[in-house]
Parts: sequence; structure tokens; C-alpha cells
Amino acid sequence: MKKRGFADLFFLLLVVYLVLPVVATMLYAFATNWNKTIMPEGLTFKWLATLFQDAEFIQAFGRSVLLSSGAVVIALLVIVPAIFVIVLYFPKYEKWIQMAVVMVYSFPGIILAVGLIRVYSKFGVPMILVVLGAYVVGILPYIYQGTRNSLRNVDARQLLDAAQLLGVSKLQAFTKILLPTVYPGLFAGALLSFSVLFGEFVLINLVVGSRFETVQIYLMKKLNTSGHIASAVVLIYIVLMGLLTFAIATLTKRSKGATNL
Amino acid sequence: MSYIVIEGLHKKYGLTTVLSNIDMKIEKGEFITLLGPSGCGKSTILRILAGLTDASAGKIIIEGKDMMGVQSKDRQVGMVFQSYALFPNMTVKENVAFGLRMQKVNIAEVDQRVQEMLEIVHLSEKANAYPKELSGGQQQRVALARALIVRPKVLLLDEPLSALDAQIRKKLQADLRSIQQKLGITMILVTHDQEEAMAVSDRIFVMNNGMIAQSGTPTAIYTSPESEFIANFIGHYNVFTRQALEKMIGETLPKEYSKFAIRPEAIHLDQRQGDVCMTGEAKQSLMSGNVIRTTLEGECLFTMEQLHQRGRSFELGKKYMCYVAKEDVIALS
Repeated sequence: MKKRGFADLFFLLLVVYLVLPVVATMLYAFATNWNKTIMPEGLTFKWLATLFQDAEFIQAFGRSVLLSSGAVVIALLVIVPAIFVIVLYFPKYEKWIQMAVVMVYSFPGIILAVGLIRVYSKFGVPMILVVLGAYVVGILPYIYQGTRNSLRNVDARQLLDAAQLLGVSKLQAFTKILLPTVYPGLFAGALLSFSVLFGEFVLINLVVGSRFETVQIYLMKKLNTSGHIASAVVLIYIVLMGLLTFAIATLTKRSKGATNL
Repeated sequence: MSYIVIEGLHKKYGLTTVLSNIDMKIEKGEFITLLGPSGCGKSTILRILAGLTDASAGKIIIEGKDMMGVQSKDRQVGMVFQSYALFPNMTVKENVAFGLRMQKVNIAEVDQRVQEMLEIVHLSEKANAYPKELSGGQQQRVALARALIVRPKVLLLDEPLSALDAQIRKKLQADLRSIQQKLGITMILVTHDQEEAMAVSDRIFVMNNGMIAQSGTPTAIYTSPESEFIANFIGHYNVFTRQALEKMIGETLPKEYSKFAIRPEAIHLDQRQGDVCMTGEAKQSLMSGNVIRTTLEGECLFTMEQLHQRGRSFELGKKYMCYVAKEDVIALS
């Protein structure tokens, strides 16, 4: 009983430690004034309204969405077919992808940024495209895991064989059977990648800087001018990530259910 | 010419030979079983027949047409897999109808044929269920219906029952045989279960190390094993060296054979005219369903089987005189 009490206490402390900063930031986004009191003196939508009336924020938000979703779409078009072919027909080459996945994790952002600047700045390639390319490679682990797990869960090779024996071509088997079957897993991987890229700051800030202002760079700027506006940006970011997480959880659950043969 | 002819089939993966010189002739409407231990190459034959794997050499002719180079989708060969391979995003009805829809058969005919097929496999009431909502046995019935509805020239069954529990497996074995006879379709089953092979087949090809070790009717295979491998793999044969058996029965055996086999149920305790006698001390007696299996030790260990109802109980440690008819001592090549 005593042990249980301690466990509950530690759990409560952990929750407070994790949740308190988030709640405080969110509250600060609605606070009229919050300097000398324990709780805000009053609540207002003023900061959120100001934020949404700021064209700079809307543009920054749009750029973040464009950059993140662009990288995800390119990854889906380029990486996913490659993973399909390797997992289904050349599994012995999978170790190379796994090695690439590990390398993605092992490069710190700062090293990557310096490397990209040194290599690509002399070729005249727009640095935003370089960052886009780096993003595509950066989300390889999420796309790879999502795709591979989906394919393995459904025994994709056998589904393709079964479809072909029923009179369809490999391409038809892929589009009519495999893609609809693994789609929830793929989509979850894509959403996860989007949320990771949407919050990325180091690479875009170091390689491109304020020439291509994303939400994260906008947030950095606002931290120096208005804590309330910065909190409002964080609030919007948290809500967006919450929605994405919910969507990923729902899709993952559905994906598991569909493959529980 | 036979309905299906396989001639000189070879398959190599790198330096490993998986199939070596396979020759088979199968008649229309036959139920054939490829029986053998894991890794003996039986599933590879099915995959080559289906066009899912290329042969290194050899010929496959189905209904007079050479199938080498013909794509899977154009072979009119159906297949049922061990893991069912049902399309998880489709209902039972959609799974079964898939092949017909791809052939652009009109909707009314698709509906009618799906309904008929679901009746044959006793799944009409599950038409709108998804695969994950069905039991293993039901899923395998759907897979069977899906493969049969396109009226394939031959249906290949790759260990379709091995993932199911014993009771359902027995029921599905009977169903499989009855559907095959009802539709008159040629079926080739791959299994490592010799009882299953005996129960459903017209003919069995027993395979070992990528080669056909023996072929024939279930009775012929069971009663006349040609090699030690077959004797061990089919049933629980007692296999003896010539010298050991000669010592045990006190008679001379043909010198050209080095090994001999005796079925455990051919050994009995009552002496009949012309029997040879084997003496052994009872070591272990196990009841296996309706059969009592007793191990005795004479010159070497041997096992005898008696039906439970007629069986005599053995006192462990006591010596018994056992008898076997001379014609039941089978020389192995």
C-alpha cells in the first residue's frame, strides 16, 4: 500500500513536470496580464486575434506547411516505391536502407547544416531546395518504418501473388490490393513526418535563415518582442500537433485491426 | 497426353539445388498430394506451376500448352495459401468476386456465381464480414471459394490446413475432397502431414531432398515403401538392418537387401502359420487414441501397435513372443 502511494506520488510529479509548462504557456496565450499573480489577472482572445491578423504569421505558417508537406510528398513518391520493391523483391538490400536510417539519426543538425552550406553554396542551388532535399532524407526513418511494418503485417508478397493468380497484373495488384491495404500505415508515417518537419528549426535557420521565414523562425523572433504572441504561436503549434497525433493514433489502430488476420 | 505434364524440372538458388529432375504426369480430375518434410522442394513445385517462381530447367505442360514463359495471371491456375492471403480491405463477398470482377464478368453473373460458391463452402451468412471477423477455418474456406470461382484448370493448395487445429483440419480435409469430387477439378496439395495425404489423395508423390522418392496410391505407398526414408516418413515402420533382423527371427534374409521394414500393426501376439517370431522385453506402452503402441527390446528395439479394444496389456520388463507374417517383412532398396 505504501509502495503504491509512492508510485502514485511520483507519477503525479511526473505529470506535473510534463504538463505544467504546456498549460502555463497555453494560459499565457490567453492572459491579459500575468506578472505578479499566481494565476492570470484576466483572460482574452486578443493575442490569438492579433496573431491571425498578422500577415507575416500567416505567410510563415503557409511556408512551414508548404515545406513540410512538399518534403513528405516527395518522400512518398520517391522513397515509398523504392521500399516496396526492396522489401518485396530484394529483401537482402534492406540492410542498406537500415544503415541509411541509422545515419539520419546520427547526424546532429549543426553538422548537417554546415556540411550542406559548404557543399551546395558554391553550385548556386537555392538553399531552400537544399533544405527540402535534406528534409526528404531526414524523414526516411519514419516513412521506411511505416511502410515496412504495413507490408510485413499483411504478408504483402503473398497478397500480390494471390491477386496475380486471380488474373491481374503486378501493377493492378499493387494499386487495387496492396496500396489500399497498407494505406493507413503509410498515412500515419506521412503525418508523423509532417509533424517532425513542421517543428524543425535548426536546419532552416542555419541554412536559409530569415529569408524563408517559417513558423519556428517567426516564433523565435516573437520571443524577443511579445511573450503573449509567442505563447499563442506555441498554442497553435500544440493544437496542430495534437490533431496530428490523434489522427496517427486512429490510423495506427485501424491499420493494426485490418491486418489482424 | 496427360492433363498436366512436368518434365525434367530443375530449380537452383545460387549453388543450392532445390529441385532435381522432377517428372510428373497428372490426369484431369485427380487429387494429387506432394508429401515430404520441410524444405524438400514441394512448395517450390507449386510456385513454379503457378508461375510465381521460374524454373532453372524443365517443362510444364497444362492441357497441352507449354507454360514456360506464361505469366501467372494468364495461366488459369488457382492457389490457396497457408496464411489464406485474403485481401483485408475487402469483405468475404468482395474477396470471392475479385477474380471475376477483374475478368470484367457482368455484375449479375458475378453475384450469382459468388452466391453459389459461398453456398458450396457454407459461408453464405458471412458474405458481408471482413476476413479479420472470421475464424481460421472460415478464412480458408473463403480463400478456397476465391480460388475456385474463376474455374482454374488446376487448383494448387500450399499447406492450406496446417495453421488450423486438428478438429477443423479433419473437417476441412473431408470438405476439400468432397468439393474436389463435386466440381471434378484437378487439385495438387502440398503437405508434410502423411495422414492428411492419405485421407484425401488419389495419388501421392513423396519427396525428399528435391527429388521424388516414391509415387503411387496411398495404399501402395503405405504398404510397399521402397526405401528407408519412405518407411520412416509414412507411418511408424520398424526399420532393421538385415543382420539384426536375421538374429532376431533366426532366419536368413535375401543378401541383396541391407534393410528391412515391418509395419507396427503387422506384429501380433498370436502365432499363425508361416509367421516368424520376434522376442522382446516390453519397455514402454503408450495409448494413442484408439491404438496402444508398445515398444519392445529384443536384438534391437521394435514397436507394435494394437487396437485399443482388442489389445492385450503388457507387463513392463516381461519378455513376449511376437509374430509377424513373412510377407509383412518388406525389403527396402
